[in-house]
Amino acid sequence: MRDKLIIGRMIPTGSKVHGLDPRAKITAMLLFTAALILSDGWAQLAVLALLAAAVLAATKIPPKTYLRTMRPLRWLMLFVFLFQLFAGPGAGSAEASTAATALWTWTAGPVTLTSAGLSAALLAVSRMALLIVFTALLTFTTTPSMLSRGIEGMLKPISRGGTGAERFSLMMRLALRFIPALLEEAQTILKAQAARGADYEEMNAKDKARLLLSLLVPVTVGAFRRAEELTTSLEARGYRIGAPRTAYRQLAWRAADTWFTLLFALLPAGALIMRLVS
Amino acid sequence: MERKNAAAAELQNVEFEYEKGEPVLRDISLRAEKGEWIAVVGESGCGKSTLVRLLNALLRPRSGTVSVFGEELTERNAPLMRARIGMVFQNPDNQFIGETVEEDIAFGLEGLCLDLAEMERRIERYAHRLKIEALLGRHPGELSGGQKQRCAVAACLAMEPEIVVFDEATSMQDERSRRELLEVMRDMKRQGSYTVFSVTHDAAEMLAADRIWALKGGFVRADRTPDAFFADEELLGDCGIELPFGLRLERRLSALGAAASDGGAAETGAKQAGEGGYGRVRHRQT
Amino acid sequence: MFGIGRHKRQFESSGDRGIEDRDRSGSEQAEASAGRGTFEAPGQTDSAAEREIVIELTDADYTYQAGGPFASAALHGVNMRVRRGTLVGIAGGTGSGKSTLLQLLNGLLLPTGGSVRVLDHTLLPGMKKPKLNALRRRIGLSFQFPEQHLFEDTVEKDLMFGPLNFGLPKEEAQRRAAEALASMGLGEELLLRHPLTLSGGQMRRVAIASVLAAGPEIMMLDEPTATLDSAARRELIALLARLCREEGRTILMVTHRIEELLEAADEWIVMHEGRAVFRGDADELADRADELAGWGVAVPEQLRCWAEWTARLPQLAALPLPRTADDMALRIAEAVRGAEISARSGNVRKPFGGAGSGPTHLLGEAGSGRPPAPSDKAESLPRAESVRRAEAETIGERGINVCATS
Repeated sequence: MRDKLIIGRMIPTGSKVHGLDPRAKITAMLLFTAALILSDGWAQLAVLALLAAAVLAATKIPPKTYLRTMRPLRWLMLFVFLFQLFAGPGAGSAEASTAATALWTWTAGPVTLTSAGLSAALLAVSRMALLIVFTALLTFTTTPSMLSRGIEGMLKPISRGGTGAERFSLMMRLALRFIPALLEEAQTILKAQAARGADYEEMNAKDKARLLLSLLVPVTVGAFRRAEELTTSLEARGYRIGAPRTAYRQLAWRAADTWFTLLFALLPAGALIMRLVS
Repeated sequence: MERKNAAAAELQNVEFEYEKGEPVLRDISLRAEKGEWIAVVGESGCGKSTLVRLLNALLRPRSGTVSVFGEELTERNAPLMRARIGMVFQNPDNQFIGETVEEDIAFGLEGLCLDLAEMERRIERYAHRLKIEALLGRHPGELSGGQKQRCAVAACLAMEPEIVVFDEATSMQDERSRRELLEVMRDMKRQGSYTVFSVTHDAAEMLAADRIWALKGGFVRADRTPDAFFADEELLGDCGIELPFGLRLERRLSALGAAASDGGAAETGAKQAGEGGYGRVRHRQT
Repeated sequence: MFGIGRHKRQFESSGDRGIEDRDRSGSEQAEASAGRGTFEAPGQTDSAAEREIVIELTDADYTYQAGGPFASAALHGVNMRVRRGTLVGIAGGTGSGKSTLLQLLNGLLLPTGGSVRVLDHTLLPGMKKPKLNALRRRIGLSFQFPEQHLFEDTVEKDLMFGPLNFGLPKEEAQRRAAEALASMGLGEELLLRHPLTLSGGQMRRVAIASVLAAGPEIMMLDEPTATLDSAARRELIALLARLCREEGRTILMVTHRIEELLEAADEWIVMHEGRAVFRGDADELADRADELAGWGVAVPEQLRCWAEWTARLPQLAALPLPRTADDMALRIAEAVRGAEISARSGNVRKPFGGAGSGPTHLLGEAGSGRPPAPSDKAESLPRAESVRRAEAETIGERGINVCATS
């Protein structure tokens, strides 16, 4: 389970991207996502993919690692592809597709495939892949604590005076720190069950569901136990929400961060302009 | 108002219960002097961990008083007093808050509102003292249990507490880390600036302490020096403690008369066998 | 000469317990004092060399996340063999590969190199994941933390989980559950409790009982004594030793305290950085005591004390390592007396020249008169004292006898 879950762990390579301010990276990701949503053709997507590829290359993390992040989501991606192909715009009735500028159509009984449908489906999947890869890029180059500090820094101006941002940041930090531990615990319980003759991988769907359900109690109990110990430990180290604190790792916004953000700000702007023009 | 000759920690007629009608601690009155190292022992479920959690107001007694440095712990002064009492827990995983060792140490310091320069100074000093300089940039997942626990101790000591509580801190460690950690505790003792409480099942740790508080069924069963404690086999049995091999051998030998006939051989043998622990105790305790 | 004759007989009969054909007289005494000589289950009288090898690893490798960005090798070229009915201690520091090794043996992990043979199943790298329930019924694994082991809402259901999965009818599973609980020394009143409401020690035993209920031939336990207090540890190990001696089960126990298991284990495997750096019995372990620290394992007190004394009384060096404090004390006391007596009588002949010739007799007698040592937790003081006094007297008498007859 854990070996499939590589998202959420920083891979240190010491690249320039690693050194960027987390706020710049988060903003860039949001802008990139916006651009992805606004883009509506292969040309725009190609621009986005090119940029993404450039940033990926700059992280010095092998491309294979990024490809692996898509594996857990491959079925979802297939589903999106098929859905778009058969039910998305451009699919459906043969008349509609022939009316469009389809290069070819192919009909087998009630099912009709068109070049436009295929193109739309591929576009949807590519968008998804880019989104996954870019999210992975963010987590591969930023430690969870920097990420949560970044979010805290971005939220602070919004929740002026309150402890909302701090709460959220602490929650993020703890979640990112403990979700892998909980997953590992669940995996150990699955192994304990396999050792006693209930091998998850050898079961039919119904038994699998029952087995996963039986994990609920011990994993929850485990989570509570951890949470309790953690609260005790936080308290013992003098932590109180809202108490004054200084910061060890101050976020430092540099010129590179401004340029990086601006570069990504161009994307949705460009996409929007192209939409308006066409 | 802090008195000059106040005890580091003092419990007076303390009662505690988690659930009504099921007292965990009953009528506990104990006193620890500044600079003492006290091992808190007893069978699992005897209330040891509860006792030390009262010391930094993580728990509150149902009746009786807990004072630290002569000051009674109240809801009000608890956060302030906690800064003077550090704790190291059993499972290092569940006390690691930072993403890296360095950030974890800093986490406590941020709460003390130290400036950056001071934080850096302390991180450097305590990383050096616990020999974890090389680990500062590492993620807890990359550390062994022993290394994690050293880091937890560093994070605790960096806050410069006067009392340090080890709550079964060695019980999940492998033998080597256990010994390393014990050495760290001995070091702290030598420094003389800490009052140490260690909740433990480990005989070597008990033998290294100045005094042993033994609990049974929520009552204080004994408050003795390690020598006196290990001499009382009934007491050991009550606390679920086996005599360590070295001491057992020593006893059997003297029962067989071998120790007497061969001068000090048996004794020195057993002492050295105890890997410092036993020997040192005997020298220190006069 | 009586002593030597007696020793010889003991040595011959000790063959049935050994793993390898070597002088096992040392552990034989430990066994005698551990009460092993008191039973002789049928089918257990085959000689050591003929005992079936139930586990065999040949150059086994295991790499976590092979090919991935976080790949890390956990085992390198591990070779080991375990014979039926032995109690094997597996020691090593954190991250030495002990736990990975156990998971390899019941197919939770498949080797990435070499081969793993357990009973009549062979696991090879890259093989299509075989159906393993037939194997797992015969080799049980108890994980390090009992709370990760217990997931049903009553102890009974938890105990029945394994037997039911392995295809036993409900009544049979129920019977096995009760039996397993009893053989771990727990009362039936626990059957209807929720597992997570038990105390740490009880939970640990229920977790082991849940493995035992399926009736495995081989039981693997991952640090079963961690976080228990020393008296509870001793009790648990006594229970395990009984499962091995009386019921003929093969037991593999991972521990980081060699000390606690030294008395009970037949053989040791020390893991270090994914390699099996040591395989052998306690005597061989004693010979390589100085290497232990380098392997990340603390030298057990028995070895340290014994090394201390053999340095002082060189005649002890010829003897096999006594496993218990009582045995060690007796031998030392004997050596001390012997040295005194020979010095007094001016006799050139050393009283204990042969390997363990003299003390064996004594220990055989002293040991067999006592109940099993590991479970002898509540040894009452006065009685122990009187036994000891009697022993002391025997030594005195015997010392004189040796001198008189020589």
